[in-house]
Amino acid sequence: MKRGWALGSAVVLGTLLAWEMGVWLSGVEVYLVPAPSDILRALVDGVDSLAPAAGITLGEAILGLALGGALGLGIAAVITFWSQLEQGVMSLALLIKSTPVIAIAPILTIWLGRGPGPKVVVTALLTFFPVLINSLEGFRSVDPAIADWFRSVNASPRQYFAQARWPSARPFLFAALKVAGPLALIGAVVAEWVGASSGLGREMWLAYNNLNMPSLFAAVVILSLLSAAVYYLVVVTERRTVHWN
Amino acid sequence: MLRISVVLGLLAVSCAGNTPSQDLTPVTFMAGFTPQANLPFVGVYVADSLGYFTEAGLDVTIEHSGGGSEHLQLLAAGEVDVTTQDAAVMLERRADPGLPLVSIGLIGQKGQQAFVALEESGIEAPSDWAGRTVGFKGTPPPDLFAILDAVGVDAADVELVNVGFDPRALTEGQVDVYPVFKSNEPDTLEGMGFDLNMWEAADYGAPTLGLAYVATETMTSTEPETLSAFMGAVIRGLRYAEEQPAETIDIVMTHVGEGGDAEHQRFILDTELADAHSALTDTHGLGWQTTEQWQELRDFLITYGALPEPVDVVDAFTTEFLPSLDGAG
Repeated sequence: MKRGWALGSAVVLGTLLAWEMGVWLSGVEVYLVPAPSDILRALVDGVDSLAPAAGITLGEAILGLALGGALGLGIAAVITFWSQLEQGVMSLALLIKSTPVIAIAPILTIWLGRGPGPKVVVTALLTFFPVLINSLEGFRSVDPAIADWFRSVNASPRQYFAQARWPSARPFLFAALKVAGPLALIGAVVAEWVGASSGLGREMWLAYNNLNMPSLFAAVVILSLLSAAVYYLVVVTERRTVHWN
Repeated sequence: MLRISVVLGLLAVSCAGNTPSQDLTPVTFMAGFTPQANLPFVGVYVADSLGYFTEAGLDVTIEHSGGGSEHLQLLAAGEVDVTTQDAAVMLERRADPGLPLVSIGLIGQKGQQAFVALEESGIEAPSDWAGRTVGFKGTPPPDLFAILDAVGVDAADVELVNVGFDPRALTEGQVDVYPVFKSNEPDTLEGMGFDLNMWEAADYGAPTLGLAYVATETMTSTEPETLSAFMGAVIRGLRYAEEQPAETIDIVMTHVGEGGDAEHQRFILDTELADAHSALTDTHGLGWQTTEQWQELRDFLITYGALPEPVDVVDAFTTEFLPSLDGAG
Protein backbone atom coordinates (compact mmCIF):
# COMPACT_ATOMS: atom_id res chain seq x y z
CA MET A 1 0.00 0.00 0.00
CA LYS A 2 2.76 2.41 1.02
CA ARG A 3 4.77 1.40 -2.04
CA GLY A 4 1.73 2.16 -4.21
CA TRP A 5 1.40 5.65 -2.75
CA ALA A 6 5.12 6.28 -3.18
CA LEU A 7 5.01 5.16 -6.80
CA GLY A 8 1.94 7.28 -7.50
CA SER A 9 3.52 10.34 -5.90
CA ALA A 10 6.71 9.78 -7.89
CA VAL A 11 4.73 9.64 -11.16
CA VAL A 12 2.89 12.88 -10.32
CA LEU A 13 6.03 14.69 -9.19
CA GLY A 14 7.98 13.42 -12.20
CA THR A 15 5.28 14.67 -14.56
CA LEU A 16 5.22 18.10 -12.90
CA LEU A 17 9.01 18.30 -13.01
CA ALA A 18 9.07 17.37 -16.71
CA TRP A 19 6.37 19.99 -17.37
CA GLU A 20 8.33 22.66 -15.50
CA MET A 21 11.54 21.78 -17.32
CA GLY A 22 9.76 21.65 -20.67
CA VAL A 23 8.37 25.16 -20.21
CA TRP A 24 11.70 26.46 -18.97
CA LEU A 25 13.76 24.92 -21.76
CA SER A 26 11.37 25.77 -24.59
CA GLY A 27 10.85 29.36 -23.43
CA VAL A 28 7.14 29.09 -24.28
CA GLU A 29 5.21 32.16 -23.11
CA VAL A 30 3.14 31.96 -19.95
CA TYR A 31 -0.03 32.99 -21.81
CA LEU A 32 0.30 29.82 -23.89
CA VAL A 33 1.57 27.23 -21.40
CA PRO A 34 2.09 28.15 -17.73
CA ALA A 35 4.65 26.22 -15.70
CA PRO A 36 3.50 24.37 -12.56
CA SER A 37 5.40 26.96 -10.49
CA ASP A 38 3.33 29.74 -12.14
CA ILE A 39 0.14 27.85 -11.32
CA LEU A 40 1.23 27.31 -7.72
CA ARG A 41 1.98 31.03 -7.39
CA ALA A 42 -1.46 31.89 -8.84
CA LEU A 43 -3.05 29.47 -6.36
CA VAL A 44 -1.34 31.12 -3.42
CA ASP A 45 -1.90 34.69 -4.64
CA GLY A 46 -5.51 34.04 -5.60
CA VAL A 47 -6.63 32.04 -2.60
CA ASP A 48 -8.78 34.92 -1.32
CA SER A 49 -10.95 34.82 -4.42
CA LEU A 50 -10.59 31.15 -5.37
CA ALA A 51 -11.59 29.72 -1.97
CA PRO A 52 -15.02 31.41 -1.75
CA ALA A 53 -15.56 30.72 -5.47
CA ALA A 54 -14.88 27.02 -4.85
CA GLY A 55 -17.35 27.04 -1.96
CA ILE A 56 -20.08 28.50 -4.18
CA THR A 57 -19.44 26.00 -6.98
CA LEU A 58 -19.35 23.08 -4.54
CA GLY A 59 -22.65 24.20 -3.02
CA GLU A 60 -24.31 24.40 -6.43
CA ALA A 61 -22.86 21.02 -7.39
CA ILE A 62 -24.12 19.32 -4.22
CA LEU A 63 -27.62 20.79 -4.60
CA GLY A 64 -27.69 19.80 -8.30
CA LEU A 65 -26.42 16.30 -7.53
CA ALA A 66 -29.03 15.89 -4.81
CA LEU A 67 -31.79 17.00 -7.19
CA GLY A 68 -30.50 14.97 -10.15
CA GLY A 69 -29.82 11.94 -7.98
CA ALA A 70 -33.27 12.06 -6.37
CA LEU A 71 -34.90 12.42 -9.78
CA GLY A 72 -32.89 9.55 -11.29
CA LEU A 73 -33.51 7.27 -8.33
CA GLY A 74 -37.19 8.18 -8.12
CA ILE A 75 -37.84 7.66 -11.81
CA ALA A 76 -36.01 4.32 -11.73
CA ALA A 77 -38.17 3.24 -8.79
CA VAL A 78 -41.37 4.28 -10.59
CA ILE A 79 -40.32 2.35 -13.71
CA THR A 80 -39.62 -0.69 -11.52
CA PHE A 81 -43.23 -0.65 -10.32
CA TRP A 82 -44.81 0.33 -13.64
CA SER A 83 -42.60 -1.07 -16.40
CA GLN A 84 -45.05 0.08 -19.10
CA LEU A 85 -43.76 3.62 -18.46
CA GLU A 86 -40.18 2.65 -19.31
CA GLN A 87 -40.15 3.34 -23.05
CA GLY A 88 -41.70 6.80 -22.77
CA VAL A 89 -39.66 7.85 -19.75
CA MET A 90 -36.39 6.56 -21.17
CA SER A 91 -37.01 8.35 -24.49
CA LEU A 92 -37.50 11.59 -22.60
CA ALA A 93 -34.43 10.92 -20.44
CA LEU A 94 -32.31 10.24 -23.52
CA LEU A 95 -33.55 13.47 -25.09
CA ILE A 96 -32.45 15.43 -22.02
CA LYS A 97 -29.18 13.50 -21.84
CA SER A 98 -28.30 14.31 -25.46
CA THR A 99 -29.15 18.02 -25.19
CA PRO A 100 -25.91 20.05 -25.09
CA VAL A 101 -25.88 21.78 -21.72
CA ILE A 102 -24.01 24.74 -23.15
CA ALA A 103 -26.94 25.39 -25.49
CA ILE A 104 -29.66 25.44 -22.86
CA ALA A 105 -27.79 27.08 -19.97
CA PRO A 106 -28.43 30.65 -21.23
CA ILE A 107 -32.17 30.11 -21.61
CA LEU A 108 -32.32 28.50 -18.15
CA THR A 109 -30.86 31.73 -16.82
CA ILE A 110 -33.68 33.68 -18.47
CA TRP A 111 -36.28 31.31 -17.02
CA LEU A 112 -34.85 30.88 -13.54
CA GLY A 113 -33.03 34.14 -12.89
CA ARG A 114 -29.42 34.92 -12.20
CA GLY A 115 -29.07 33.19 -8.84
CA PRO A 116 -27.98 29.59 -8.17
CA GLY A 117 -31.20 28.17 -9.70
CA PRO A 118 -29.99 27.63 -13.29
CA LYS A 119 -26.63 26.25 -12.10
CA VAL A 120 -28.38 23.71 -9.88
CA VAL A 121 -30.73 22.70 -12.71
CA VAL A 122 -27.89 22.31 -15.23
CA THR A 123 -26.05 20.13 -12.72
CA ALA A 124 -29.17 18.08 -12.08
CA LEU A 125 -29.69 17.56 -15.83
CA LEU A 126 -26.14 16.26 -16.16
CA THR A 127 -26.27 13.95 -13.16
CA PHE A 128 -29.71 12.39 -13.21
CA PHE A 129 -29.08 10.12 -16.21
CA PRO A 130 -26.23 7.98 -14.80
CA VAL A 131 -28.19 7.64 -11.56
CA LEU A 132 -31.34 6.63 -13.46
CA ILE A 133 -29.60 4.01 -15.60
CA ASN A 134 -27.58 2.47 -12.79
CA SER A 135 -30.45 2.49 -10.30
CA LEU A 136 -32.77 0.83 -12.79
CA GLU A 137 -30.17 -1.82 -13.48
CA GLY A 138 -29.66 -2.28 -9.76
CA PHE A 139 -33.37 -2.62 -8.99
CA ARG A 140 -33.52 -5.38 -11.62
CA SER A 141 -30.44 -7.23 -10.43
CA VAL A 142 -31.95 -9.04 -7.49
CA ASP A 143 -30.29 -12.41 -6.91
CA PRO A 144 -32.64 -15.09 -8.41
CA ALA A 145 -32.47 -17.14 -5.21
CA ILE A 146 -33.56 -14.14 -3.13
CA ALA A 147 -36.30 -13.33 -5.62
CA ASP A 148 -37.54 -16.94 -5.39
CA TRP A 149 -37.60 -16.73 -1.60
CA PHE A 150 -39.65 -13.51 -1.61
CA ARG A 151 -42.09 -15.14 -4.04
CA SER A 152 -42.34 -18.21 -1.82
CA VAL A 153 -43.35 -16.09 1.19
CA ASN A 154 -45.84 -14.18 -0.95
CA ALA A 155 -44.20 -10.78 -0.20
CA SER A 156 -46.02 -7.64 -1.32
CA PRO A 157 -44.46 -5.53 -4.11
CA ARG A 158 -43.62 -2.87 -1.53
CA GLN A 159 -41.86 -5.42 0.71
CA TYR A 160 -40.02 -6.87 -2.27
CA PHE A 161 -38.85 -3.39 -3.31
CA ALA A 162 -37.70 -2.37 0.17
CA GLN A 163 -36.04 -5.63 1.15
CA ALA A 164 -34.81 -7.11 -2.15
CA ARG A 165 -34.61 -4.52 -4.90
CA TRP A 166 -33.29 -1.60 -2.80
CA PRO A 167 -30.35 -3.52 -1.24
CA SER A 168 -29.56 -4.90 -4.68
CA ALA A 169 -29.52 -1.40 -6.18
CA ARG A 170 -27.25 0.24 -3.62
CA PRO A 171 -23.90 -0.84 -5.13
CA PHE A 172 -25.18 0.35 -8.53
CA LEU A 173 -26.24 3.64 -7.00
CA PHE A 174 -22.78 4.23 -5.57
CA ALA A 175 -21.23 3.35 -8.94
CA ALA A 176 -23.48 6.03 -10.46
CA LEU A 177 -22.52 8.57 -7.82
CA LYS A 178 -18.81 7.99 -8.53
CA VAL A 179 -19.51 9.24 -12.05
CA ALA A 180 -22.17 11.82 -11.22
CA GLY A 181 -20.27 13.47 -8.33
CA PRO A 182 -17.36 14.84 -10.38
CA LEU A 183 -19.81 15.48 -13.26
CA ALA A 184 -21.86 17.70 -10.94
CA LEU A 185 -18.88 20.01 -10.44
CA ILE A 186 -18.33 20.25 -14.19
CA GLY A 187 -22.03 21.03 -14.66
CA ALA A 188 -21.87 23.85 -12.11
CA VAL A 189 -18.75 25.31 -13.73
CA VAL A 190 -20.26 25.18 -17.23
CA ALA A 191 -23.38 26.98 -15.99
CA GLU A 192 -21.26 29.62 -14.23
CA TRP A 193 -19.13 30.08 -17.35
CA VAL A 194 -22.23 31.06 -19.33
CA GLY A 195 -23.13 33.83 -16.91
CA ALA A 196 -22.53 34.17 -13.19
CA SER A 197 -21.30 36.74 -10.73
CA SER A 198 -19.34 34.23 -8.64
CA GLY A 199 -18.00 30.68 -8.57
CA LEU A 200 -15.08 28.78 -10.07
CA GLY A 201 -16.61 28.94 -13.57
CA ARG A 202 -16.73 32.72 -13.30
CA GLU A 203 -13.07 32.79 -12.14
CA MET A 204 -12.11 30.58 -15.08
CA TRP A 205 -14.02 32.76 -17.53
CA LEU A 206 -12.29 35.89 -16.26
CA ALA A 207 -8.85 34.25 -16.35
CA TYR A 208 -9.45 32.92 -19.87
CA ASN A 209 -10.61 36.26 -21.23
CA ASN A 210 -7.69 38.06 -19.58
CA LEU A 211 -5.31 35.39 -20.95
CA ASN A 212 -4.25 34.74 -17.37
CA MET A 213 -3.39 31.08 -17.88
CA PRO A 214 -1.84 30.50 -14.43
CA SER A 215 -5.10 31.61 -12.77
CA LEU A 216 -7.14 29.51 -15.20
CA PHE A 217 -5.06 26.42 -14.39
CA ALA A 218 -5.17 27.24 -10.67
CA ALA A 219 -8.96 27.11 -10.83
CA VAL A 220 -8.73 23.83 -12.76
CA VAL A 221 -6.48 22.40 -10.03
CA ILE A 222 -9.04 23.33 -7.38
CA LEU A 223 -11.83 21.81 -9.46
CA SER A 224 -9.81 18.59 -9.83
CA LEU A 225 -9.15 18.44 -6.10
CA LEU A 226 -12.85 18.97 -5.37
CA SER A 227 -13.75 16.22 -7.89
CA ALA A 228 -11.31 13.84 -6.25
CA ALA A 229 -12.69 14.70 -2.81
CA VAL A 230 -16.26 14.06 -3.92
CA TYR A 231 -15.22 10.77 -5.55
CA TYR A 232 -13.43 9.52 -2.42
CA LEU A 233 -16.30 10.64 -0.22
CA VAL A 234 -18.58 8.38 -2.26
CA VAL A 235 -16.05 5.53 -2.04
CA VAL A 236 -15.75 5.85 1.74
CA THR A 237 -19.51 6.08 2.19
CA GLU A 238 -19.95 2.99 0.02
CA ARG A 239 -17.42 1.01 2.08
CA ARG A 240 -19.22 1.91 5.27
CA THR A 241 -22.73 1.17 4.07
CA VAL A 242 -22.50 -1.64 1.51
CA HIS A 243 -20.88 -4.25 3.72
CA TRP A 244 -21.50 -7.37 1.71
CA ASN A 245 -19.89 -6.08 -1.47
CA MET B 1 3.02 26.75 -87.24
CA LEU B 2 3.44 30.34 -86.13
CA ARG B 3 -0.34 30.64 -85.67
CA ILE B 4 -0.38 27.49 -83.44
CA SER B 5 2.46 28.90 -81.32
CA VAL B 6 0.64 32.19 -80.87
CA VAL B 7 -2.58 30.38 -79.84
CA LEU B 8 -0.68 28.17 -77.39
CA GLY B 9 1.08 31.24 -76.02
CA LEU B 10 -2.18 33.10 -75.55
CA LEU B 11 -3.68 30.04 -73.86
CA ALA B 12 -0.74 29.87 -71.49
CA VAL B 13 -1.10 33.57 -70.62
CA SER B 14 -4.86 33.13 -70.20
CA CYS B 15 -4.42 30.14 -67.88
CA ALA B 16 -1.80 31.98 -65.86
CA GLY B 17 -4.30 34.80 -65.38
CA ASN B 18 -6.99 32.46 -64.08
CA THR B 19 -4.98 30.54 -61.53
CA PRO B 20 -3.33 31.90 -58.38
CA SER B 21 0.29 32.71 -58.92
CA GLN B 22 2.87 30.66 -57.11
CA ASP B 23 4.30 33.97 -55.89
CA LEU B 24 1.32 34.92 -53.68
CA THR B 25 2.30 35.51 -50.08
CA PRO B 26 0.23 33.41 -47.68
CA VAL B 27 -1.50 35.36 -44.89
CA THR B 28 -3.81 33.97 -42.21
CA PHE B 29 -6.45 36.38 -40.96
CA MET B 30 -8.55 35.43 -37.94
CA ALA B 31 -11.61 37.54 -37.24
CA GLY B 32 -12.10 38.06 -33.52
CA PHE B 33 -15.62 36.63 -33.55
CA THR B 34 -18.00 34.50 -35.59
CA PRO B 35 -18.85 35.66 -39.14
CA GLN B 36 -20.84 38.89 -39.23
CA ALA B 37 -20.66 42.40 -40.68
CA ASN B 38 -18.22 43.85 -38.12
CA LEU B 39 -16.40 46.36 -40.24
CA PRO B 40 -12.88 44.91 -40.06
CA PHE B 41 -14.33 41.53 -41.05
CA VAL B 42 -16.16 43.16 -43.95
CA GLY B 43 -12.96 44.68 -45.32
CA VAL B 44 -11.43 41.21 -45.48
CA TYR B 45 -14.52 39.50 -46.89
CA VAL B 46 -14.80 42.05 -49.70
CA ALA B 47 -11.07 42.10 -50.47
CA ASP B 48 -11.12 38.32 -50.68
CA SER B 49 -14.31 38.10 -52.72
CA LEU B 50 -13.40 40.79 -55.25
CA GLY B 51 -9.81 39.67 -55.72
CA TYR B 52 -8.15 42.65 -54.05
CA PHE B 53 -5.87 40.35 -52.05
CA THR B 54 -4.76 38.48 -55.16
CA GLU B 55 -4.07 41.77 -56.92
CA ALA B 56 -1.99 42.79 -53.92
CA GLY B 57 0.00 39.55 -54.13
CA LEU B 58 -1.60 37.87 -51.13
CA ASP B 59 -3.21 34.48 -50.59
CA VAL B 60 -5.36 35.16 -47.52
CA THR B 61 -6.92 32.40 -45.46
CA ILE B 62 -9.90 33.65 -43.43
CA GLU B 63 -10.65 32.07 -40.07
CA HIS B 64 -12.91 33.03 -37.18
CA SER B 65 -12.46 32.96 -33.44
CA GLY B 66 -15.18 31.48 -31.28
CA GLY B 67 -15.41 34.69 -29.27
CA GLY B 68 -12.90 34.02 -26.52
CA SER B 69 -9.33 35.23 -26.55
CA GLU B 70 -7.88 32.40 -28.61
CA HIS B 71 -7.32 34.69 -31.62
CA LEU B 72 -4.85 36.74 -29.56
CA GLN B 73 -3.08 33.61 -28.33
CA LEU B 74 -2.81 32.28 -31.87
CA LEU B 75 -1.57 35.66 -33.11
CA ALA B 76 1.08 35.83 -30.40
CA ALA B 77 2.09 32.24 -31.17
CA GLY B 78 2.54 33.13 -34.85
CA GLU B 79 -0.25 30.83 -36.05
CA VAL B 80 -2.26 33.84 -37.24
CA ASP B 81 -0.81 36.89 -39.01
CA VAL B 82 -3.56 39.48 -38.52
CA THR B 83 -6.61 39.55 -36.28
CA THR B 84 -9.12 42.06 -34.94
CA GLN B 85 -9.50 43.38 -31.43
CA ASP B 86 -11.24 46.14 -29.52
CA ALA B 87 -8.68 48.89 -28.88
CA ALA B 88 -9.15 48.93 -25.09
CA VAL B 89 -8.74 45.18 -24.75
CA MET B 90 -5.70 45.31 -27.02
CA LEU B 91 -4.04 47.80 -24.66
CA GLU B 92 -5.01 45.71 -21.64
CA ARG B 93 -3.47 42.57 -23.17
CA ARG B 94 -0.30 44.53 -24.04
CA ALA B 95 -0.02 45.42 -20.36
CA ASP B 96 -0.96 41.99 -19.01
CA PRO B 97 0.21 39.37 -19.93
CA GLY B 98 2.41 41.53 -22.16
CA LEU B 99 1.34 40.41 -25.62
CA PRO B 100 3.33 42.21 -28.35
CA LEU B 101 0.20 43.51 -30.11
CA VAL B 102 0.21 46.40 -32.56
CA SER B 103 -2.82 48.12 -34.08
CA ILE B 104 -2.14 48.47 -37.81
CA GLY B 105 -5.47 50.15 -38.59
CA LEU B 106 -8.04 51.62 -36.20
CA ILE B 107 -11.33 51.02 -37.97
CA GLY B 108 -13.64 51.94 -35.07
CA GLN B 109 -13.01 55.59 -34.31
CA LYS B 110 -15.57 55.25 -31.52
CA GLY B 111 -16.25 52.33 -29.18
CA GLN B 112 -19.24 50.12 -29.86
CA GLN B 113 -20.30 49.59 -26.25
CA ALA B 114 -23.48 51.29 -25.11
CA PHE B 115 -26.28 50.82 -22.58
CA VAL B 116 -29.99 50.58 -23.25
CA ALA B 117 -33.19 50.65 -21.21
CA LEU B 118 -36.70 49.91 -22.34
CA GLU B 119 -38.46 53.16 -23.19
CA GLU B 120 -41.44 51.98 -21.12
CA SER B 121 -39.20 51.71 -18.02
CA GLY B 122 -39.22 55.47 -17.56
CA ILE B 123 -35.43 55.59 -17.50
CA GLU B 124 -34.78 58.70 -19.53
CA ALA B 125 -31.14 59.39 -18.65
CA PRO B 126 -28.22 57.77 -16.79
CA SER B 127 -29.11 59.94 -13.80
CA ASP B 128 -32.17 57.66 -13.51
CA TRP B 129 -29.94 54.59 -13.08
CA ALA B 130 -29.61 55.19 -9.33
CA GLY B 131 -31.44 52.46 -7.47
CA ARG B 132 -31.74 50.38 -10.63
CA THR B 133 -30.15 47.12 -11.80
CA VAL B 134 -27.47 47.64 -14.44
CA GLY B 135 -26.07 44.69 -16.37
CA PHE B 136 -22.55 44.07 -17.59
CA LYS B 137 -20.94 41.43 -19.78
CA GLY B 138 -18.29 39.58 -17.86
CA THR B 139 -16.71 42.52 -16.09
CA PRO B 140 -18.11 46.03 -15.50
CA PRO B 141 -16.55 48.17 -18.26
CA PRO B 142 -14.89 51.56 -17.75
CA ASP B 143 -17.58 53.01 -20.02
CA LEU B 144 -20.20 52.29 -17.37
CA PHE B 145 -18.32 54.08 -14.59
CA ALA B 146 -17.48 56.99 -16.91
CA ILE B 147 -21.18 57.52 -17.61
CA LEU B 148 -22.05 57.30 -13.90
CA ASP B 149 -19.28 59.77 -13.05
CA ALA B 150 -20.42 62.17 -15.75
CA VAL B 151 -23.97 62.32 -14.39
CA GLY B 152 -22.96 62.27 -10.72
CA VAL B 153 -24.39 58.87 -9.78
CA ASP B 154 -22.41 56.90 -7.21
CA ALA B 155 -21.57 53.40 -8.48
CA ALA B 156 -22.65 52.06 -5.08
CA ASP B 157 -26.17 53.29 -5.85
CA VAL B 158 -26.66 50.91 -8.75
CA GLU B 159 -26.83 47.14 -8.53
CA LEU B 160 -24.38 45.63 -11.02
CA VAL B 161 -25.28 42.21 -12.45
CA ASN B 162 -23.35 39.99 -14.86
CA VAL B 163 -25.89 39.32 -17.60
CA GLY B 164 -23.79 37.56 -20.22
CA PHE B 165 -24.83 37.96 -23.83
CA ASP B 166 -28.59 37.43 -23.87
CA PRO B 167 -30.63 40.63 -24.33
CA ARG B 168 -33.74 38.90 -23.03
CA ALA B 169 -32.31 39.70 -19.59
CA LEU B 170 -33.64 43.20 -20.32
CA THR B 171 -36.99 42.26 -21.81
CA GLU B 172 -37.67 39.73 -19.03
CA GLY B 173 -36.97 42.35 -16.37
CA GLN B 174 -33.83 40.80 -14.88
CA VAL B 175 -32.05 44.13 -15.32
CA ASP B 176 -33.24 47.69 -15.93
CA VAL B 177 -30.23 48.72 -18.01
CA TYR B 178 -28.55 46.30 -20.39
CA PRO B 179 -25.07 46.57 -21.99
CA VAL B 180 -25.07 46.31 -25.78
CA PHE B 181 -22.83 46.53 -28.75
CA LYS B 182 -24.70 49.31 -30.46
CA SER B 183 -24.28 47.74 -33.89
CA ASN B 184 -25.91 44.54 -32.70
CA GLU B 185 -28.43 44.05 -29.87
CA PRO B 186 -30.44 47.28 -30.34
CA ASP B 187 -31.57 45.98 -33.74
CA THR B 188 -32.48 42.61 -32.20
CA LEU B 189 -34.42 44.20 -29.35
CA GLU B 190 -36.26 46.63 -31.60
CA GLY B 191 -37.02 43.72 -33.90
CA MET B 192 -38.69 42.04 -30.91
CA GLY B 193 -40.94 45.09 -30.65
CA PHE B 194 -39.25 47.02 -27.86
CA ASP B 195 -38.46 50.72 -28.03
CA LEU B 196 -35.18 51.66 -26.41
CA ASN B 197 -33.31 54.54 -24.86
CA MET B 198 -29.58 54.24 -25.49
CA TRP B 199 -26.49 55.88 -23.99
CA GLU B 200 -22.84 55.54 -24.92
CA ALA B 201 -19.81 56.69 -22.98
CA ALA B 202 -18.42 58.72 -25.89
CA ASP B 203 -21.39 61.07 -25.52
CA TYR B 204 -20.31 61.70 -21.91
CA GLY B 205 -16.75 62.61 -22.77
CA ALA B 206 -15.10 59.18 -22.64
CA PRO B 207 -12.40 58.74 -25.32
CA THR B 208 -13.55 55.31 -26.47
CA LEU B 209 -12.14 53.53 -29.52
CA GLY B 210 -13.46 50.54 -31.45
CA LEU B 211 -12.13 47.59 -33.41
CA ALA B 212 -8.66 47.57 -34.92
CA TYR B 213 -6.68 45.29 -37.22
CA VAL B 214 -3.93 43.84 -35.04
CA ALA B 215 -0.59 42.19 -35.81
CA THR B 216 2.43 41.40 -33.65
CA GLU B 217 5.60 43.46 -33.26
CA THR B 218 7.48 40.62 -34.96
CA MET B 219 5.15 40.75 -37.95
CA THR B 220 5.34 44.54 -38.28
CA SER B 221 9.13 44.47 -38.23
CA THR B 222 9.69 41.45 -40.48
CA GLU B 223 6.78 41.58 -42.96
CA PRO B 224 6.10 45.27 -43.66
CA GLU B 225 5.40 44.70 -47.37
CA THR B 226 2.88 41.97 -46.56
CA LEU B 227 1.07 44.15 -44.04
CA SER B 228 1.04 47.13 -46.42
CA ALA B 229 -0.46 44.93 -49.11
CA PHE B 230 -3.00 43.54 -46.63
CA MET B 231 -4.10 46.94 -45.32
CA GLY B 232 -4.25 48.38 -48.82
CA ALA B 233 -6.60 45.60 -49.89
CA VAL B 234 -8.87 45.73 -46.83
CA ILE B 235 -9.19 49.52 -46.88
CA ARG B 236 -10.10 49.19 -50.55
CA GLY B 237 -12.67 46.61 -49.44
CA LEU B 238 -14.09 49.04 -46.88
CA ARG B 239 -14.38 51.80 -49.45
CA TYR B 240 -16.30 49.39 -51.66
CA ALA B 241 -18.57 48.58 -48.69
CA GLU B 242 -19.37 52.27 -48.31
CA GLU B 243 -20.15 52.67 -51.99
CA GLN B 244 -21.95 49.36 -52.52
CA PRO B 245 -23.54 48.31 -49.20
CA ALA B 246 -26.15 46.02 -50.76
CA GLU B 247 -23.56 44.07 -52.75
CA THR B 248 -21.34 44.02 -49.68
CA ILE B 249 -24.06 42.37 -47.62
CA ASP B 250 -24.37 39.69 -50.33
CA ILE B 251 -20.66 38.99 -49.82
CA VAL B 252 -21.02 39.02 -46.03
CA MET B 253 -23.88 36.53 -46.22
CA THR B 254 -21.65 34.01 -47.99
CA HIS B 255 -19.65 33.92 -44.76
CA VAL B 256 -22.59 34.19 -42.35
CA GLY B 257 -24.27 31.25 -44.06
CA GLU B 258 -27.84 30.10 -44.47
CA GLY B 259 -30.17 31.18 -41.72
CA GLY B 260 -28.39 34.50 -41.28
CA ASP B 261 -30.42 37.69 -41.23
CA ALA B 262 -29.26 39.98 -44.05
CA GLU B 263 -31.17 42.96 -42.64
CA HIS B 264 -29.46 42.56 -39.28
CA GLN B 265 -26.09 42.37 -41.01
CA ARG B 266 -26.95 45.57 -42.87
CA PHE B 267 -27.70 47.23 -39.51
CA ILE B 268 -24.28 46.16 -38.21
CA LEU B 269 -22.58 47.43 -41.35
CA ASP B 270 -24.34 50.80 -41.40
CA THR B 271 -23.76 51.42 -37.68
CA GLU B 272 -20.07 50.58 -37.81
CA LEU B 273 -19.51 52.52 -41.03
CA ALA B 274 -20.86 55.62 -39.29
CA ASP B 275 -18.35 55.15 -36.46
CA ALA B 276 -15.44 54.48 -38.80
CA HIS B 277 -15.30 58.18 -39.66
CA SER B 278 -13.82 61.06 -37.70
CA ALA B 279 -12.04 64.30 -38.45
CA LEU B 280 -8.85 62.25 -38.55
CA THR B 281 -10.09 59.76 -41.11
CA ASP B 282 -11.55 62.58 -43.21
CA THR B 283 -8.02 63.97 -43.46
CA HIS B 284 -5.95 60.80 -43.55
CA GLY B 285 -8.30 58.01 -44.60
CA LEU B 286 -9.99 55.03 -42.96
CA GLY B 287 -8.07 53.31 -40.19
CA TRP B 288 -5.99 56.35 -39.20
CA GLN B 289 -4.87 56.62 -35.59
CA THR B 290 -2.80 58.95 -33.51
CA THR B 291 -0.73 58.94 -30.34
CA GLU B 292 -3.25 61.32 -28.76
CA GLN B 293 -6.12 58.90 -29.34
CA TRP B 294 -4.25 56.01 -27.74
CA GLN B 295 -2.93 58.14 -24.86
CA GLU B 296 -6.43 59.36 -24.04
CA LEU B 297 -7.73 55.80 -24.14
CA ARG B 298 -4.85 54.62 -21.90
CA ASP B 299 -5.47 57.37 -19.35
CA PHE B 300 -9.20 56.61 -19.39
CA LEU B 301 -8.55 52.91 -18.74
CA ILE B 302 -6.13 53.70 -15.92
CA THR B 303 -8.64 56.07 -14.32
CA TYR B 304 -11.21 53.28 -14.09
CA GLY B 305 -8.80 50.52 -13.10
CA ALA B 306 -8.89 48.60 -16.38
CA LEU B 307 -5.15 49.07 -16.92
CA PRO B 308 -2.95 48.08 -14.01
CA GLU B 309 -0.18 50.56 -14.81
CA PRO B 310 0.84 53.13 -17.42
CA VAL B 311 1.83 51.51 -20.70
CA ASP B 312 3.70 53.15 -23.51
CA VAL B 313 1.26 53.58 -26.38
CA VAL B 314 3.80 54.68 -29.00
CA ASP B 315 4.62 51.07 -29.86
CA ALA B 316 0.98 50.00 -29.64
CA PHE B 317 0.03 51.31 -33.06
CA THR B 318 1.40 52.29 -36.44
CA THR B 319 0.06 54.04 -39.52
CA GLU B 320 2.97 52.72 -41.59
CA PHE B 321 0.87 50.18 -43.46
CA LEU B 322 -2.19 52.29 -44.20
CA PRO B 323 -2.73 53.40 -47.80
CA SER B 324 -2.96 57.07 -48.65
CA LEU B 325 -6.34 58.67 -49.25
CA ASP B 326 -5.98 58.35 -53.00
CA GLY B 327 -5.32 54.64 -52.59
CA ALA B 328 -1.77 54.91 -53.85
CA GLY B 329 -0.47 52.91 -50.90
